[in-house]
Formats: sequence, structure tokens, C-alpha cells
Amino acid sequence: MSYAYLFKYIIIGDTGVGKSCLLLQFTDKRFQPVHDLTIGVEFGARMITIDNKPIKLQIWDTAGQESFRSITRSYYRGAAGALLVYDITRRETFNHLASWLEDARQHANANMTIMLIGNKCDLAHRRAVSTEEGEQFAKEHGLIFMEASAKTAQNVEEAFIKTAATIYKKIQDGVFDVSNESYGIKVGYGGIPGPSGGRDGPSAAAGGCCS
Amino acid sequence: MLESELHDLSDDADYAASQQQGSASMMLGSDSAKQSSPRDGAEIVFQKDNVAIHPTQFASERISGRLKLIKQSSSLFMTWIPYKGHNSEARLSDKDRSLYTIRAVPFTDIRSIRRHNPALGWQYIIVVLSSGLAHPPLYFYSGGVKEFLATIKQHVLLVRSAEDANIFLVNDFQNTLQRTLSSLELPRAVPLACGPSDMSVDESILNENQERADNGVNSGSLSVTQFHGRPRHKAHDPARDLSIQVLEKFSLVTKFARETTSQLFGENHSNGFSANERRTHIQANLDHSKNSSNVVENTSEKSPVALDSHEFDNLSLIWGKPRQPPLGSEEWIIFLDSEGRVTDSEALRKRVFYGGLDHELRNEVWGLLLGYYPYESTYAEREFLKSVKKLEYENIKNQWQSISSAQAKRFTKFRERKGLIEKDVVRTDRSLAFYEGDDNPNINILRDILLTYSFYNFDLGYCQGMSDLLSPILFVMDDESEAFWCFVALMERLGPNFNRDQNGMHSQLFALSKLVELLDSPLHNYFKQRDCLNYFFCFRWILIQFKREFEYEKTMRLWEVLWTHYPSEHLHLYVCVAILKRYRGKIMGEVMDFDTLLKFINELSGHIDLDATLRDAEALCICAGENGAARIPPGTPPSLPVDDGSFYVQQDDEVL
Ligand SMILES: Nc1nc2c(ncn2[C@@H]2O[C@H](COP(=O)(O)OP(=O)(O)OP(=O)(O)O)[C@@H](O)[C@H]2O)c(=O)[nH]1
Ligand SMILES: [Mg+2]
Repeated sequence: MSYAYLFKYIIIGDTGVGKSCLLLQFTDKRFQPVHDLTIGVEFGARMITIDNKPIKLQIWDTAGQESFRSITRSYYRGAAGALLVYDITRRETFNHLASWLEDARQHANANMTIMLIGNKCDLAHRRAVSTEEGEQFAKEHGLIFMEASAKTAQNVEEAFIKTAATIYKKIQDGVFDVSNESYGIKVGYGGIPGPSGGRDGPSAAAGGCCS
Repeated sequence: MLESELHDLSDDADYAASQQQGSASMMLGSDSAKQSSPRDGAEIVFQKDNVAIHPTQFASERISGRLKLIKQSSSLFMTWIPYKGHNSEARLSDKDRSLYTIRAVPFTDIRSIRRHNPALGWQYIIVVLSSGLAHPPLYFYSGGVKEFLATIKQHVLLVRSAEDANIFLVNDFQNTLQRTLSSLELPRAVPLACGPSDMSVDESILNENQERADNGVNSGSLSVTQFHGRPRHKAHDPARDLSIQVLEKFSLVTKFARETTSQLFGENHSNGFSANERRTHIQANLDHSKNSSNVVENTSEKSPVALDSHEFDNLSLIWGKPRQPPLGSEEWIIFLDSEGRVTDSEALRKRVFYGGLDHELRNEVWGLLLGYYPYESTYAEREFLKSVKKLEYENIKNQWQSISSAQAKRFTKFRERKGLIEKDVVRTDRSLAFYEGDDNPNINILRDILLTYSFYNFDLGYCQGMSDLLSPILFVMDDESEAFWCFVALMERLGPNFNRDQNGMHSQLFALSKLVELLDSPLHNYFKQRDCLNYFFCFRWILIQFKREFEYEKTMRLWEVLWTHYPSEHLHLYVCVAILKRYRGKIMGEVMDFDTLLKFINELSGHIDLDATLRDAEALCICAGENGAARIPPGTPPSLPVDDGSFYVQQDDEVL
């Protein structure tokens, strides 16, 4: 399928916070309690539309276990967006956010858009991290923030799309040189080049059309 | 079994054995009608003794054998079977013998035969297959080349090449594909395999390499550059890929043959190259796989014929042994004495290696393969061990079961471990009937075993991936204690995969990179160029022994094969190489970068042909031989760590 842009996303965060479930909810629109823990990385993809333009999200769902980090770090390279996930019912997953951020800052490109997600908000009765704490952390570190539930699908769609919209805005503002793929953005055929110019888009001059 | 059936058809057992295997090489033929074995109504139309090959550069080291032409209905086959125990050199192993054996090659698979009449020494021929593969030179120590060619001429169309009177093109008009193939220009594969009497052709290769060398750093990476430059569709030409693949594999064999030839007849012919220059050239190329693939790339650029992918699969390795049906209970009894001891564990391991086990035997045999039960134990001893071990298991299990909740509050490490395991067992193979559904008791057994293991080996503890390894073991053993001890035995081998610092994984990935460098240097150079030498894309394969790459039954089959440690305890690394080699054309042709490659490899899951891969892996392992073993640093899992402290330090910072 043709797209105007392709964005590479990574999903990071402690093991068991629900990264794979968020991905499955987003790509397949279902909560899948029967699935395997992630070893290395799994891939997902979905088309979305922003500003009437088709955008393909290529999503890398990484393994959260600490000892896999030396491997999973190598997946950060060239990601345009990251979903940093913690589990609102497990305090330690929130406490580890700083070290995840540090990894991201070190191994991903500086302009990567990061969305902080407090997952499992359906389990409000077991909440161990308040919404305000999440908001506060996001604010301090310049992240977008949402609480979500992979189980009920609450805010899942929004989290992925809001991240894409932010990246898209950065392109419009000329923050990225989209011809440089290390930013995790590819310009597709039939796509619209950003202000800094598209790499390959013969129909670029045709305006907003995305056929 | 089969063998006795075959015996009356031939006077020597080797021949019979070769026929058994021959059916596989015949399946390589593109004419499906010829898949039947030539044993019915087969007629030997030519037979020559003292036909030998030289596997090394020492003239004294030769493998002698019998060359035959066999006619069956309208097809002609060639076989060359080394004599058993007649080798002039005891150093030649059975491996060598079976490696070089030519098993019933149908003439439809032969493209040409090249005759060499050196001024000094014996006449020899080189048989080139339509795949581009060439067999090592066959030396006729008792003469008979002319007679050999004359006999062929009586049965298949043999045309002398217009360009070279010593090249005979073979044609079998029953088969249109073959007709097309053999009408092609003679492949450059011929000069690669030929001896010094054809220096003019060799020279052209040298020049070619010279040209390339002028443009870049080394011929290896150059061949890759070249690869990129070509139009895309070329990269997908399976015939091309095939010839590279086969030729590379073969080049390891031919290397010896070629050096032999030089040694045997000296280099002092009136050609432009002195022996020294020639040697330097060979040295400079480091290994022939670089060299050969350059050569082949040229060949196939001229080749308009593409074999279909099915054929490509069948053809991918000429000396890979056919897989056998799994070992069943009737045959299993034969391996045991009356009290249940395995009398010949090597034979058992070999049998399991080639066929795996019937599912109902796994329960009995896995414990032996894993080393939990000694091969020499009797039925009674195993029963006894089982009961002793059961008590021991209960004791270890009791260690954590007796931790009260009050105590657990002050035992964070325990709580964390337990929590982690509980999170993971509900995410392990839940789509299988055995683990499916809420409150499935098998999930609790998984948890108990893993938690008990983390007390049994507290230092290693629990790490993700372990539940993947335990799941099939519990499924097969269907007994908590037995599954635990088999898992313990497996972790004796694979424990380092789960070291916190990942050094066990890194050393295996490093060894893998060394093997690919040996067995497929263009691919190695490609990975190097693309910054993929860390081989992280093979991480999951190695960590959990391909568990996520195959369906459950296939995984169990692969595991029991790997556990035999039959051709090598590092066979799993050769399996990695085999898979990569299968897709090398696509990987390089589509110029995959790290991200694309990782995704591609991930998505191979469920699409890998296990039997073909195992065949390739075995052949690669044999092919690599000691060279391969030497590339794998001591202490690389599943080898036991070496104690001198100097083990596999990754001095090479290419990796990591
Ligand atoms: N109630 C609830 N449970 C969830 C939610 N998301 C995930 N889970 C559960 O949390 C567990 C872990 O989810 P995964 O998606 O596998 O976690 P992960 O982050 O991918 O973990 P790793 O692959 O190990 O890194 C699963 O058993 C899910 O059923 C959620 O939104 N609500
Ligand atoms: Mg996951």
C-alpha cells in the first residue's frame, strides 16, 4: 500500500507492562491474553491517516527484560517515535523510567518523539502510580503522556496517533531532514515532501493526493 | 533393512550403500520420472578400478575407488565409490570418504566432462554438473579415459566442444531443461576446478581478479559491490544463487583437489605463471569461496536459464545425506541389550541425528540424549535413579515452598523472581492444548519447576527464554520431577545463554560470524559492510534453540537432533549458517540493512524447511571440518567453559 510517510516506532519499558498487548490492540484491535512473552523483538504495522495523508507505522515491540538490553538497544537506531510504557499497578516499572529514558537518549536520535504510557488503567483498584505522578514525570522530561489500557483499548489508538501527529508536525516545521533515514522517517511514493524536500516522490507536486 | 534388499544387486556393500543414498541425489535431477532407484534392471556398462582423487596436496594421500557407468532403462548414471579400508593413508576418515563419494549421478545432471592429458603423470577427468558444481578430478591410475568416454557416447549424446577438444558436452535429449542447460556456454566453474595444464583459462581468472583488485580493497567485498551494481532481477535468479551456493560449498573440496594437482605435476609448464606466483595468488584470495563466487557470478550472468525454486531446494546440496524417518519403537529395541542398556550410544546418536524420534519414544530417549540418564544404565537403574531424583527434587522444591508469606515480605529477590516467573508461564505456549485455558495445572507445574530451578541454580536464577525451553520438555516427560532433571541437564549445556551479561550469547554470535566468514565470505563481507556483524538478528534462534522458528513438533525434532551432538556439539551454529545461506541471495539482492534484515529474519519464523536445513547444516559442518571447529573459540556454549581464564575473550571488536 502506498503511504506518504513511514515512521519507525519502538515500544520500550519493563517486562510485563503490556507492550505487546498495546501493539496487538493497535494493529488487530483485540486484547490477546494468550500470547508469548517477547524475546528480542516483534514487528507490527498499521496505516493511519494524518492531515489526510496515509502514514504507515512500522512498530518494533521490544523485549523488556533487563538482561536483553544490550541486544534491544541496537533496535533504537533510526526510530522516529517511541512509546515508553509502565504499568500503573507496579511501582517499580515507573521507577525504572529514568533508565529507559537514558537508554533512549543514548541510542536513539535526539529528535525522537517519546510518548509515555501508563498502561493497565483498567486496573484502577490496584493502582500504585497516580496519574499526577505520570504527568509530572512527562513534563519534567518533555514527553507526551497518556494513561491507557490495552485490555479495554482506552487511549490506545490515541497514543499511537498522537505520537504520529507530533512527528508529522515536526516534519512540517522542518525539524527533520526527511531525506535522512536515520530519523526513522521514510517518504513514500505519492507522498508529500516536507519543507526540506522529499527524497523520492515523483507525484509530490500533485498536492495532497495520496492515491 | 534396505541394505539386505540391495545386496543381491551388487557385489560390494559400498555400492549398495551408495544406492541407498543415491536415490537422493537422483531426486536432484530435474526429471521427476527418474526418481526411481536404478537398482531394478540396472546394468553396469563400464567399470574401472584404481580411479582416485587426491583430497590433499600430498600425492601419497589418495582415495582410490571404482568408477562405474550404470545403465537403467534409458538413463545412464555414473558412480564413484571409494574402497573401504584401502586408502593409502589411514588419516582419511570416513567423513572424507563419504564426502567425496559420487553417488549415482544421472547424466541428465552432467553438463560436461573435461579430459586432461598432463605431460607428466596420469590422465584425469573433471565432471561438471549442470548446477555448475564440479567433482574433484578423477585420476585414472589404470588408464581408461578413452574407453570411459567411448562408453558414454554409446548411451548419451556426447559432443566435443568446438572451443576445446578436451571438453565433452553431455546431452540427454529426454529432458528439455537439461538440453537448454547444456547448450549454454561452458561455465567458468570448469577452470576453477581444473588443473595446471590449463593455465590459459586460469590466467583469465587471475586477470579478472586483478581487475577487481584494482578497484577496491579486497576481492571479497568487491564481489559484493558488484552484486549491488547489477540489475535487481538478476539477484533473484535462483540458478545464479544456486551455483554460488553449491560452488562455494564445493570450493572447499576443490581447494584440496587443485592444490593436489599442482603438487602432483609440478608447476614448471611453459605458461606465464611460476608456481610461486600461482601460490601467492591462491594465498591472496585467502579462500576459494571468494574466488569461486566471483567466477560464478560471471558465469551466471550469461545464463538465461532459471531453475524453478523447487528444483533449487532439491539441488541445494549435493552431498547432504537424505533424512531418515524417525526412530520407532521396534528399531529402538535393537539399540538396547536385554537389561535396557544402550549398547552403542554412538550408533544411537547417529540414528537420532538422521531421523529424530517417534513422539512416543521421546519420553524414554530424551533423558539419555540429554545425559540425565547414562547410556549404560539398565531399565532397573533408571527406575531407581528416577525415584531417587524425585526425592531430591521434592527437597529443593521444599526450599521455596516453605518460605512463609511473612518471610517473603523480607525476601525481595524471591518475590521478584516468583513474580517474574508467574508472569511468564502464562505467556508460554498457551495456544497449545497442553497449556491452554485458565487454571491449566500444567502452567503451575511450569512455574514450580522454574522456581525450583532458580533455587537449584540460584546464581543463574530465572531468565526469560527458560520457559520456552522447559515447555516441550514438560510436554514430553509429563512428570514434574523428570521434566525438572531433563531441564537441569539441558541447562548444563545452555545455561550460559542466560548469563546476565549475555556473554554466553555473545560468544556464540561471535563464533557464528566466524563460521559465516569461513563458509560464505561474500555474505560475511556484506554483513560487515552493512554493520550487521553483531548477528543480533540470530539472537532468538540461538537463545532458545529455534523454538520460535518452527512449529512445536518440528522444534522437538530439531532439538533431539541437536542434542545428539553427533557431527558437532555446535551444530546449531551450522543450522544458523544453513538458513542464512538459503536466503543469502535475497538478503544481498535486496540490499537489506540491519532493520530490514532483522525484520526479514523474524518473519522467516514458520517458513523454514527443517529437513532441508538440517541436510545443509550437516554438509556445511562436514565441509568446514576442522577449519570450522577451529573458528569456534573453546568454551563456546554448549561446550563447557575452559578454566584457564583465557577463553573466548572477544579481542575482536568487530562484534560488540
Ligand atoms: N488488565 C490488564 N492487563 C494487561 C494489560 N496489558 C497487558 N496486560 C497483561 O499483562 C501481561 C504482560 O503483557 P505483555 O504485553 O506480554 O507485556 P510486555 O510488555 O510485552 O512484556 P515483555 O514482552 O516481557 O517485555 C499479560 O499477561 C497481559 O495479559 C492491560 O491493559 N490491562
Ligand atoms: Mg512483549
